[in-house]
Amino acid sequence: MSISESNLCKELHDAIVSGDVERAESKAKEMLNKGFDPYNIVKNCMTPAMKLVGDMFSKMEIFLPEVMMAADAFQACMKHIEPKILSRKAELIVGKVVIGTIQGDIHDLGKNIVALMLRANGFEVYDLGRDVPVGEFIKKAQEVNADIIAISALLSTALPYVKEVIKLLKDLGLRDKFFVMVGGGAVTKEWAQEIGVEGYGENADEAVKVALELMKKKKMKK
Amino acid sequence: MFSFIDILKRFEEGPYMEEKDFDIKIVYKNIKRLIKEYDIKYNPEEIITVDNSLADDVFKAGFELALETGIYCLDTKRVLKFTEEEIKEGLKTAPAQIIIGEGRDSRVLYARKIEDSRAPIIMGGQAGAPIPEEFYYQMAISYMQEPIIDAINHGGLAKVKGLEVKTRSPAEAIATMMELRYLREAARASGRPGIHLLAAESSVTCIGDLAAQSEEFLRKSDAHLIPILNEVKTDYDRLTKAITFKIYGGINVALVDPIIGGYFGGPEGVAIGFIASYLMSRIIYQADYYIIHPIHFKYVSTSVPEGMWILNIVGQAMARNTNFILMGDVWTSNGAGSYEIFWEIIANTITNVVTGSHPLGVSATNGKYPHASGLETRFMGEVAHASTKLKRSDANEIVKTFLRKYHPKRTEKPNIGKVFPELYDVETIKPKEWWLKLYEKAKKEAIDHGIKLE
Repeated sequence: MSISESNLCKELHDAIVSGDVERAESKAKEMLNKGFDPYNIVKNCMTPAMKLVGDMFSKMEIFLPEVMMAADAFQACMKHIEPKILSRKAELIVGKVVIGTIQGDIHDLGKNIVALMLRANGFEVYDLGRDVPVGEFIKKAQEVNADIIAISALLSTALPYVKEVIKLLKDLGLRDKFFVMVGGGAVTKEWAQEIGVEGYGENADEAVKVALELMKKKKMKK
Repeated sequence: MFSFIDILKRFEEGPYMEEKDFDIKIVYKNIKRLIKEYDIKYNPEEIITVDNSLADDVFKAGFELALETGIYCLDTKRVLKFTEEEIKEGLKTAPAQIIIGEGRDSRVLYARKIEDSRAPIIMGGQAGAPIPEEFYYQMAISYMQEPIIDAINHGGLAKVKGLEVKTRSPAEAIATMMELRYLREAARASGRPGIHLLAAESSVTCIGDLAAQSEEFLRKSDAHLIPILNEVKTDYDRLTKAITFKIYGGINVALVDPIIGGYFGGPEGVAIGFIASYLMSRIIYQADYYIIHPIHFKYVSTSVPEGMWILNIVGQAMARNTNFILMGDVWTSNGAGSYEIFWEIIANTITNVVTGSHPLGVSATNGKYPHASGLETRFMGEVAHASTKLKRSDANEIVKTFLRKYHPKRTEKPNIGKVFPELYDVETIKPKEWWLKLYEKAKKEAIDHGIKLE
C-alpha cells in the first residue's frame, strides 16, 4: 500500500483541511514514529491537503479564517518533519516568495489572501506584514534567497513606494536576481507594465497563476 | 455618549491581544456561532428579500457580535469592549437626518426606510479612483452640472503638478488641498457653490484631513470618510481623523467595507459584521452617516449577487431597527463608455434604494481607472428615483434579470470602457454623441423592463 492510500495519510490530510492543529500534529508525529518517509508525508498527504484548501477557498466553499487555520495545521506538522528533510526540502517547495503590503498602506487583507493561496500552492512564503518599508522587501529577499518579491498596494498614494522598490533593486544591482509581482486595489495591469515588473495579478487566483508561471520561466532559464 | 478622551483611554486599558487571535478566535468564532444560532442563509434567488424576520435576525446577530468582539486598535493591540447600554446609547443618539451642504444647495440627508417612496439623495463621483489633474476639474463639473446629483464623492489626485503623491508625505496635504480647490471651483462654475462634498480622497491618512479643515477647503457642512479597518479594527490615524473633524464641527462618515470571503466569512457573516461595525463606529467615530460597501474577494464590485444580497439585508436590518443614515455604494466592474455598466447600475441601484439606502456612485471599473463621467451617474439617479415606486418582490425580479446580463461573464472579464476625455468634450463638458446614444438606449431598455424612468 502506498503512503497516499494509508488511513493515517488520509487522517492527516483531513486534519489539515479542517484546520485541526492538534490532530494534524499528532497524526504527523504518528506517521513519523511508524517510519513513513517524512518527504513523502509532505508530498502525498500535506501538500494535497493545502492544495484542496486553496481550491475550496477559490470556490468560496471555505473562507480566509479556515485557510489560515489549515496553514497553521500544516506549519505545526512541519515543525516535526522539517528537521528530517532539510536536504530534500527544496524539492517540496515550488518557490520562495517575500510578500508584504508596501510602505504607506495598512490594508493587508488582500495580501493575506494571496500569501495563503501561494502557501496552499506549494510556495514558501515570507510575509512581512503591512506598511513595509521599501528596503525591507529587498533585505528579506536577499536573506532567504527568494525567487519572487510580491508587493501589494490598495492606495494609489502607496504606488510611488512600489516604484522605489524597483529603483532600489536597480541601484543595488539586484534587479535581475528577483522576479517582482504586484497587485492590489490601486494597481492596474498597465501600471505594472509601465514600471517593468514581471507579474501582475488581478486577484489571488491570478496571483498564484502568475507566480507559478514565473517559476516555470526561472526553471527554463536554468 | 462616550467622549473621545474616554475612547482613547479605553483603547489603552482594554484586553491585550495578538491581531491574529482577534481575527480567528474572537471575530470568526463568534460569527460562525451567530450564523448558526440565527439560522442566517444567503439566498441568491432573493437578492432583495421580503423576509423581515431575516433582516431582524441579522440585526440581532450583529448587535451580539459587537458585544462579544468589541473593536481592535492596531496601535495599542487592545480591544475596546462595549456594554449593551453603551451600544444602545449610540443607537439612541444617532441622527435620523442631517443637513448636508449649504444654502440653496443644501439637502436633508435622512434615514431611508424599506420601500421608501421619498426621493433618495444622489451622491455622485468616481470615488476610489485616482484622477489625473489635467481633467480633474472638468470631470468634477460633469457631475456637478447634473441637477439630479445632490452631493459629490469624487476620486483623489495621484499627482500634483507632476509630483507623485505619497502617503504620509507633504504631498498628501498638498494634494488634498488641491483636490478641494478643484472641487470648490467646479461647484462654483456649475452654479452650485454650496453642494455637499464627501472628500477628500487624496487624504488617505490624517495628514490630508488636518490640512483641509477650514472653510476654504472642507466646510463644516461637508463630510469625510473614516474607514473601519478589516475587520472591526481601527488605529490612531483613523481616530485622529474622527476626533479632529468632529471637534472642527464637520460630518463624520463611517466607511465599512468588509471583504466577502475574508475574516467575516461569506455573505451571511459579512452581513452580521456590517451591523456590528456600524454600531461601534457610531460610538468611536461619532459617525453621522454610513457607507455600505461589501467587497467581493475576487470580483471586487458591489454589483455581484453576494454583494447585492448584503446591501439588501444590511439596509433592511438597519432600516427596521435603527435610524442610521446609509449610503449604498454602486461599484461596477465595467467602465463608462461600455453598455454593460448600465446593467450593473440598474441592478445595484434598485437594490440599494428599495432596501433603505441612498445610492453613492457610480464608481466604475471598481475605482481603478478614471473611466467615468457624470452621464452614467445621471442614469443612476434616474433609476434611483424610479426605484421609489418599486416593491421588494418586483424589484428582486428586475435585479435578477439584469444581473444575468452581466454576471459572471462581464464581471470576470469586464469592459472597462474609456477615459473621461474620450467620453466628454473637455471644452464644453458635454457627453459625446455616441456615449449619449448608449445612455438613451439603456434608458429604453430599463423602461421596457418596467422601470418607470422620468
